[in-house]
Amino acid sequence: MKKTPLLAVAAAAALALTSCSGGSDASSGDGAANQPLNIGQFMDITSWDPANADVGFDVTYLSAVYDPLLTVDGDGNPQPALATKWEVSSDFKKITMDLRTDAKFSDGEAFNADAAVKNLEYLKKGTRSQEAYTNVSAVKKVDDDTIEIDLKQRDDTILYFMGLGRSWMASPKAIDAGTLAKEPVGSGPYTLAADSVAGSEYHFTKVADHWDAAAYKGDPLKIQPIQDANARANAMQSGQIDVNYADQAAIDMAPQNNWNVAKKVSGWVGLQFSDRAGAKSEIVGNLKVRQALNYAFDGAKILSSIGSGAGEVTNQIFPVGMTGNDPSLNDTYAFNLDKAKSLLAEAGYADGFEISLPMTTIYQTWQPSVEQTFKQLGIKVTWDSMQYTDYMAKASSYPMFIAFISMDSNAVANVTRQISTPQWYNPTPGLEKFPEVEAQVKKVMEAAPDAQEAEIKTLNKLVTDNAFFSVWYQANNAYVSKSNIEITPVTGQMYPTLNHIKLK
Amino acid sequence: MLQFVIRRVISGIILVAVVSSATFFLAHLAIGDPTIGLLGSSATQDQMASLAAKIGTDRPLIVQFFDWAGHALTGDFGDSWRNFQSVSSQIGLKLPVTLSIVTFAILLTAVFGALLGIATGLRPGTVVDRVLQWLSVILFALPGFWVALVLVITFAVNLKWFPAVGYVQPGTSFSGWLRSLALPGISLALGAVVMVASQLRNALVETSQLDYVRTLRSRGLSNARVTLHMVRNAAPTSLTILALMFVGLLGGAVVVEQIFALPGIGALTTASSQNGDIPILLGITVVTVAFVVLVNLVLDLLLGWINPKARQS
Repeated sequence: MKKTPLLAVAAAAALALTSCSGGSDASSGDGAANQPLNIGQFMDITSWDPANADVGFDVTYLSAVYDPLLTVDGDGNPQPALATKWEVSSDFKKITMDLRTDAKFSDGEAFNADAAVKNLEYLKKGTRSQEAYTNVSAVKKVDDDTIEIDLKQRDDTILYFMGLGRSWMASPKAIDAGTLAKEPVGSGPYTLAADSVAGSEYHFTKVADHWDAAAYKGDPLKIQPIQDANARANAMQSGQIDVNYADQAAIDMAPQNNWNVAKKVSGWVGLQFSDRAGAKSEIVGNLKVRQALNYAFDGAKILSSIGSGAGEVTNQIFPVGMTGNDPSLNDTYAFNLDKAKSLLAEAGYADGFEISLPMTTIYQTWQPSVEQTFKQLGIKVTWDSMQYTDYMAKASSYPMFIAFISMDSNAVANVTRQISTPQWYNPTPGLEKFPEVEAQVKKVMEAAPDAQEAEIKTLNKLVTDNAFFSVWYQANNAYVSKSNIEITPVTGQMYPTLNHIKLK
Repeated sequence: MLQFVIRRVISGIILVAVVSSATFFLAHLAIGDPTIGLLGSSATQDQMASLAAKIGTDRPLIVQFFDWAGHALTGDFGDSWRNFQSVSSQIGLKLPVTLSIVTFAILLTAVFGALLGIATGLRPGTVVDRVLQWLSVILFALPGFWVALVLVITFAVNLKWFPAVGYVQPGTSFSGWLRSLALPGISLALGAVVMVASQLRNALVETSQLDYVRTLRSRGLSNARVTLHMVRNAAPTSLTILALMFVGLLGGAVVVEQIFALPGIGALTTASSQNGDIPILLGITVVTVAFVVLVNLVLDLLLGWINPKARQS
């Protein structure tokens, strides 16, 4: 499997006094004429207000009307957009950004340092956008086209999150008016047309003098939220949409329809050991039990039979083919039921044990696999059924649970979100019980950028050896598109931004 | 009549109050902590706490209830917890879509149900009558979503006569609006047409055997006038069915809206349930129950107009 040196590039962005400069390659058109582009999304937009929008689902819509300070490439590396280049100080606590001077908002206001500062301060307070700016202490204007972001502590994920969809710039007037949720005013390549039907069809008018107009050839552009996979497939077949978030059935239709297929891993599926420190249950706190449960599941079989083969078999939480993921670790717990039984016996559970696990509709797909495997190990499961939202609230109160957990392109973001900081699926990371892991997390966070990848690999080996998770496989996000459209999926975004949906 | 209307309106208000209060507590019981569902899987504890404070779920449930009820009495259903836009404005955007589909389906049902019912009721035992009987059984047994899928594949995917998905506002294009309603409306109406036709047919067959029909014929009234009397007598049953269908189709629209990707109340309900957006769910509940009350009131008034005896009872 080819590995992408993601961190090397991310590191370059974060490296002290290292600058990333920015002529936008995308700004040079490839000569193709404008063509209609109809995108079938699977979710309606949460909010046109970037502070309240969701990164995973909303960025396709937002990228039409807003420009970001930074964007990301297919590997999650920060790329220039409204910020043409940036420098990170030697103590990693200050980022200086140079801004474009040729961008303007659709209400006629110019984009400049004042606008960028106002936006970043607004995003820092936003209900959803604040996640990217937790370490920001101040944002300052240096001059009309330069800003400075001061950090409370080193943050190797901020540029990634900004690029992923947390740095959309809106008109300062619209921010003050509080009207962004319904009437987006950005400097993006399109404006939202008045004949859009909320929840059904969003029509966009191309901005002819956009600074990167040549890169956006979809004209007219339409985005339709279509939640039902069959409805999206019907719309694609009838020619109503040109791009579709695809399930396996849609992928199977691709060859006969001459559609392109693009896919990338998006999240891991398996057992989340929420009480790996053993605070609530000695059972899951026992390393041998966790290792036994790693040996007991045949990830390849589960992927092919339940996941329709749409993913990659691995036992790690770092995306396959990207920084952190180490193929040599994949055999650490090669499927071996006998080994699992013997480990359970060594742990004092030769006859299995009794455990309660939460269950909700979307995880029922994997329930029989768990039921069957646990039965073979003598483990008696009591399933507590609940609503999905309840599952997210209560699952982590169980010692372990079936999980689908989103991954990031950025390896440090994976470390923080999956290992070291509290999340809904991991409210008490419990690293104090694993001093070696805790020390290694610290090493990752303090390593020089060019040494970080090696430290993350070491950390990955440690959490694998300590069976922090029982990962069965990583599931794909897949998209089908008409033959003249190319999609570049990004791990961390459920649906790509418009700069990754290219008309040829 | 006025007393009757006042009585029904008061009982309707009580019904809305009871159902929405029950929904409030049941929704909170079922959803528990909504902040994770609202923020998504990457939410941090700090974000969840901040959202809980913003939407007020950090207060005792009873305080939240009286706060919601107090505002609801003034017609303010609050803001969505997901996008912080007003519940009323969001329902106002979605309701016309659902009402368009359901009204279109009811119109189709009323027109074709009446035509088929009269045609077969006046000539029971004919080939048309027998075909309708069989058709009733088949169409009634077929799942609505399956009918919708067959219609999409045939008329949208293969023939491309109608759009497979989406909704066009009548103000943008009236013909486009009708085209976007056609397949969803027909999907909803097919089963209902045969049911109404069947009811009307049976009522007409029964009515045709009543003494007054024989008397009317013996007095030399034309067939058309006798038929008119018979239909007026048989109409209440079909009207009741039609009204019940209107209410039922509001529920059926959830599935149809999903299949045709229509931005109606059904889609909003599904999304709000998944996200734990309780204010939207409560707003939809109040509006839906109010509609049910309104439809029943209109039905009672219509029945009273057709048959004065019903008014007195």
